[in-house]
Amino acid sequence: MRLNDNRMDALNMPEWLLTDENYSPPNDRDTFVNKSILSFLSILARIKTQDSSETGKYGISAIFKVAFTFMLILLLSLSRSFVFVMIINVYLIVILSLMKAEDIVKILKVSLVMSLFTFILLLPAAFWGNSSSTILITGKVFATITVVNILSRTTKWTSITGALKKFFVPDLFILVLDITIKYIVMLGDFALSMLYALKLRSVGKNKSKYTALSGIGGTLFIKSKEMAEDMYIAMECRGFTGEYHVYNNFKFTIADFGYIMINVGIIVLFVYFGRI
Amino acid sequence: MHIPDNYLSPQTCAVMGAAMIPVWAVAVKKIKAEVPKEMIPLLGIGAAVSFLLMMFNVPLPGGTTGHAVGGTLLAILLGPWAACISVTVALLIQALMFGDGGILSFGANCFNMAFVLPFVGYYIYKFIKDSVKTDKGEYIGMIAGSYIGINVAAFCAAIEFGIQPLLFKSATGQPLYCPYPLSVTIPAMTIPHLLVAGVVEVLFTVAVFSFVKKVSPGTIYEGAKEKTKAIYGLIIGLICLTPLGLLAAGTAWGEWGTDEIQDVVSGGSALGFVPAGMQNGFSFEALMPDYSVSGLPEAAGYILSAIAGAAILIILFKVIGYLKKDKGESALE
Repeated sequence: MRLNDNRMDALNMPEWLLTDENYSPPNDRDTFVNKSILSFLSILARIKTQDSSETGKYGISAIFKVAFTFMLILLLSLSRSFVFVMIINVYLIVILSLMKAEDIVKILKVSLVMSLFTFILLLPAAFWGNSSSTILITGKVFATITVVNILSRTTKWTSITGALKKFFVPDLFILVLDITIKYIVMLGDFALSMLYALKLRSVGKNKSKYTALSGIGGTLFIKSKEMAEDMYIAMECRGFTGEYHVYNNFKFTIADFGYIMINVGIIVLFVYFGRI
Repeated sequence: MHIPDNYLSPQTCAVMGAAMIPVWAVAVKKIKAEVPKEMIPLLGIGAAVSFLLMMFNVPLPGGTTGHAVGGTLLAILLGPWAACISVTVALLIQALMFGDGGILSFGANCFNMAFVLPFVGYYIYKFIKDSVKTDKGEYIGMIAGSYIGINVAAFCAAIEFGIQPLLFKSATGQPLYCPYPLSVTIPAMTIPHLLVAGVVEVLFTVAVFSFVKKVSPGTIYEGAKEKTKAIYGLIIGLICLTPLGLLAAGTAWGEWGTDEIQDVVSGGSALGFVPAGMQNGFSFEALMPDYSVSGLPEAAGYILSAIAGAAILIILFKVIGYLKKDKGESALE
């Protein structure tokens, strides 16, 4: 009998449970959280996709790519010839056309935005009467940004850092670079989860959102210190003595030969147009 | 503040790169001496943090956002030498992998953001913190350090841009690289940094530092034992830079002499007259008029004036410090 009473009570739901709820959280500004999330995501996506970029069996060695990319940037910067800059631009566009559409879009986006920015920046100078240098510098900026992006999109970053060894960069520095790239991903993932948490937990107005951002930055720093200690212990356990050697098994291919020939041609062009 | 390629001449880039080599060498040595064992992971992970700190968007009034460089913050947290290497590696990855900032101008970018910014910021912070030994002093130091640090860095970038048309011209007199003179580049670089980027840097530095201090005070760099001596190094560096003022074509805005005032352009038309009050007014003969001392080359005069100015400022600070201490002691009695 008593049990029945209890059941009846349970069936009589309290009043507040039966009324319709009409809560809509007030809007709050969170552009800075969204923007931070986006910039972290783009960085992480960029690093993760480059890891899968295949150079192919007969690809050009990273050493030559890095060396000639640097050379081309230097020649572009030194050149005063409009024709030379235009030839290089055409050459780079040809290389671009051989790449995947996805990469082409991404590279062009960066180089076009930067060239446009440069052009607008130099436009007042054109009105002062040096329109030629405005166009020349814009062309140079387009070529430089495109060539760096082609390098970074077609080569594994570990190969780029490895190639630096041939240019007398100390092994230690290459190790530091590799660690940095790895930990940008690890700490970036970590920061990203904190940003998501901040966004999810800020329902309606959250007055302490700004202080939370500094918390994320601060936690990131503390976490990095812990990670550095852990990593050092792990390295020591595996017998790390402070010496680090980068090994390179380097094979000369036909592609390398062709690439060198093209670049010799570029140097000849530079000298030829430099005379005029 | 990332200078792309082709804005600076290769010669300027080479000079800036050469200037950074001894800095990097000393930095590695100093870090090795301070933390010999954990150095390698610390440098790599410090660089990763410095890279990621630049990704944070800080809210600004009016609904916009900006991002901080975090150079002073890293210098306070890790020490200036470790910050120098961390920012350098972060800048290298940005230039090489992300195409952000030039390859040739890498040296110049490092000079501005990995050397000038953290060191100016850190030593201003340390100087104020050591002379005002309260919590408030520490925060004032941080605010002043991060604000002045980023602005001095922007000013350096402006000078690097601005000297290009003076030094590198084609046969017909057309500038080959950045075409704008100092009178354009300095306001164009410094005004946005004074108004916006400096504020972002201060907000971010203070907020993150106070969080780390509250949560994990042990992780903060304690600083060298040498006390404030380093501020003198900074001052000497700045003194050496003063002849750069000579490169500016015009007199600084607001520093016209009476002979120049009639040429001052306001609202599109030259003033064309000397304000009467200035013509017959009180003429103040300074100790070293126009920063040039007779019988000395102009550059040397500049340096001499700068040394005098710096010394006077140091004396002023010392006197203020002494008076304050005196007052504190008498209050105790």
